[in-house]
Parts: sequence; C-alpha cells; structure tokens
Amino acid sequence: MLVVNDLYAGYGMSEVLMGTSLAVKRGTVVALIGPNGAGKTTTMRTISGSIKPTGGEILLDGKPVQGLEPSQIARLGLAHAPEGRKVFGPLSVEDNLLLGAFTRLPRFFGFHAKAAGDLDKIYELFPRLKERRRQASGTLSGGEQQMLAIGRALMAQPKVVLLDEPSMGLAPVIVDEVFDIIRRLKGSGITLLLVEQSAKRALEVADYAYVMERGRIAVEGVPQELQKNERVIAAYLGN
Amino acid sequence: MNQALIQLLVSGALMGLVYALVAYGFQLTYATSKSINFGQGELVMLSAFFSLTLTNLGLPYYLMIPGGLLFGVVAGLFVERAGVRLALEQKSEGWILMTIILGLFGVSAAENIWGRDDRPFPTPIPTEPMQFFGISITPLEISVALGVFMIMVIIELFKRKTLLGKAFAAVSADRDAAELMGISATRTIMLSYGLSGLVAALAGILVSPITTVGPTMASALVLKAFSVAVVAGLESGFGVVIVGLFLGSLESLTSFYVGSGWREAPGLVLLILALAVRPTGIFGKAVIRKV
Repeated sequence: MLVVNDLYAGYGMSEVLMGTSLAVKRGTVVALIGPNGAGKTTTMRTISGSIKPTGGEILLDGKPVQGLEPSQIARLGLAHAPEGRKVFGPLSVEDNLLLGAFTRLPRFFGFHAKAAGDLDKIYELFPRLKERRRQASGTLSGGEQQMLAIGRALMAQPKVVLLDEPSMGLAPVIVDEVFDIIRRLKGSGITLLLVEQSAKRALEVADYAYVMERGRIAVEGVPQELQKNERVIAAYLGN
Repeated sequence: MNQALIQLLVSGALMGLVYALVAYGFQLTYATSKSINFGQGELVMLSAFFSLTLTNLGLPYYLMIPGGLLFGVVAGLFVERAGVRLALEQKSEGWILMTIILGLFGVSAAENIWGRDDRPFPTPIPTEPMQFFGISITPLEISVALGVFMIMVIIELFKRKTLLGKAFAAVSADRDAAELMGISATRTIMLSYGLSGLVAALAGILVSPITTVGPTMASALVLKAFSVAVVAGLESGFGVVIVGLFLGSLESLTSFYVGSGWREAPGLVLLILALAVRPTGIFGKAVIRKV
C-alpha cells in the first residue's frame, strides 16, 4: 500500500535520509523505531510531502507521490497525524474533526449531515472528545489533543495513516490508553505506519518493524525476531 | 441632545462604516495568512475608477456593480500572486514592501489613465434628504449602510458556517497541519485575497457617490481603515464595525467643533494610543497555547 524506495531528503544542506527503504502492506501496523535524530520524523514528513525528497521514490497505492504538495498527497488517501499533535487550537474539537474529512465533504453546506455518522464513530472511540466537542481544542490536555489528532486523521477515511510519536510528553497512564486505541484500530484493519520513541510498546503492537539509524534502515523484521536481536535489545530494549 | 449634534453623529457614523469595510478587507487576508495588503486603499480607488469608466461607457448602475466587484476580485488575486505568495512561501516579511509598492504603482497608473482630478460618481439612488425625527438622511446614505452590513454578514456566515470557511481558520492556525488535511494553503490564501478585493471594490462603489473619485482617496481611506483595524484587532468583524462607527462620529465632531483641518487627527491619535496601550486590539484575543 505504501512503498518507500531509496529515499534521500533533508533540510537545506544537511541530508537526513540517506537511502531509506520501507514498505507497509495493506491492513498491517508497521513500526519505525530508532534513536533521536535517526530520521524517523523526517521520513514521515517526506512521505506526507512537507519535505521534498532529493532522491528516491514514494508509492502510495502504486502511484508515485514524491514531489507533490502535502494537500495533494492527502487527497490521494494519506493521513498524517504529525509529531506534536498540531491540532487547530482556536477551533472547536468538532471543527477539527470535520476538517480532517475536508477532502471528502461538501465545501459549503450540508457537510455536517454527511459527516454525522463518521463523527459518531470517532466519538465512540474517544468518548472524551464527545464531551468536549464544543471546546476550543487548544484548551485540551496533551492526551486529549493526541486523541483528537488521531481522530482527525481517521476522519479522512484514509488508505494509510502515519502516526508520529503518539506517546510524546504524555503520562504513562495516557500512553496506555493511546496504545489501546491503536490496538483497537489494528483490529479493525487499519494500515498504519507508527513512529515511536518507546520501542518496547511499538514492538508489542506492530506486525513488522524497521529500526532506523543515521538515515538508513539498520535492521528489520517481525517484532518477535527483533525482540531477540541482541543489537536491538542492547540499544532500545535494555533495562 | 440637540439636532445638529445627532446629525453630525449620523453622517460621521456613515463614513465610519466605510472605514470598517476597508478594515474588514485587512482582516480577511490576515485571517488566512497573517499578511495584509497595504495597498487596500489603492484597490478601493482603482475599483472606483474602473466602475466609473463602466458607467461612462453606458452600463446601467446595477450591471456596473458586478463589473466593479469582479475587477476588485481580479485585482486582489493579482496582489496575492505578484506581491504576497513568494514572500509567504519563504516565510519572509517581503509582502509588506511589495504591497506598498503595488499600491504606489496603482496611484501612478490611476493618475495616468484617469487624471489627477476628483470626479463625481453618478448614481441613480436618490440624494434628496428624508426626515426621520428631525434628522435628515439620504437614501444614498442608507444604501451605503445596507451594503456594508450585507456583505459583512454574508462573508461572516461563509467563514463560520461552511467547511471552506473553517478551512480559512485552519490555515491561519497551522498552515502545515492544514495541508496535511488536504487543504491547499496557497488556494485558501488566494481566495481570501480575492474576497478582500471584492470588499475593497464594494467600498469604492458605495463611498464614491458621496466623496467623489480621485487618486488621493486611497491614502485618506487606508489610514483611517488601518486605525480601525488596529484598534479593533485583526480578528473581530464585529469589532471593526463598532470602532468604525466610533471613529467616524469622532471625526465628524472634531471637524465641526475644532475645525475641518483637524479631521484626520482622531484616527491618528487612536492608532497611536492603541499601539501603545493594547497592540492586540480591543477585540483581539489572547491565544491559549498548550505545549
């Protein structure tokens, strides 16, 4: 569903990605782990178009999307819940969710009626968002904002979801909640690329995982193998 | 209160509504891109001249209006493409100088095409005053007030009740995140400049029959509109109407009681006071950010 081949990208003169390759099959959860500065977030931002790659290709459902604007890639079915949540602070929770579905709702009137069923599904997944649906999203707690960012990405009914550092800055209890949600989404057949600091949690939920180091994929495999791989244990899973 | 005073307030408030409309044009582009067209006054003037030309070509008033508005939209889009887009893409403040330069260019163009003189702007709307409780007001003046309120209500409804309008706010809150939702920031900003041009053109068409059309009308209008926008804050459409009405009335009182040479003073004093005391504007919101 999503294939990244030999990707090169960076900020100005500094290359961050140096030949990254990975693949996410339909209906699987793939984790991308690795140390800070390895290029995980850069990989996500390059896939969704915020950073223009200097080499390589990105295939979304078989179509090359490298070099397109982020909004064009989003319209082709990719939803990216970015690092740091990036909710639209002054807008209400419900408006944030509706804008998540911008690509498939009527631009002028009648969008609310058309989105009602989808909103109900999101609210069922995140009851707390329903309680706060009229509240400005900038006033939510970090955990609630993360739920909103995930909900907003789901509203697009995307082919592929990129989820970047969902546990960042959250209390352990809230992180548990977020991963419960990811597990539920996995059960419903979502295609997800997950970047996560906490390698242990990521490997617990993933079907397949890539370990990234200095802009390249260093190790890859199913989580059961990686959990036994001595190099991975030493670097990321050690106590 | 005596009749003369009320009369002064009413005619001043009317000019104030026109300031509010021009200030509203600032708000529209600020709402998507945090940038404004410093040549907004020149846009009002050029649209007024263009509409006058359409009238002189024999177009009836009610066909001339859509023509003038269309000119405003196209001019607004031109400002965005030529003066603003590149600067915003590079996160630079270059749009400030570019829009000022485009404005100056607009004045020169107008002087060369239409001359330096002020010209009357014909209108079929009657200008014989009618009496309401001893206050005389002309149907023309009523049409100005109606026009201002109508366009502002329509645009506010668009911004609050349609998904595209909400996308304006999303682009303003976080341009990159809006792009991730499939909202093209560039096209949203283009649209806001087009709307801003439409508002400027309407202001020109509404005010010209009262004030006449001339290359100098731009600078007079834009300074007042700018005071209104800064005092009211760049976010509140309701705010510009209130502040516009206030400034208009104050100007009218000043020029009657102090002398007509002092007419421009209240706007400048308000601007300086606002910048010194409350730079976010009376109706500005402090944004709550959680990290």
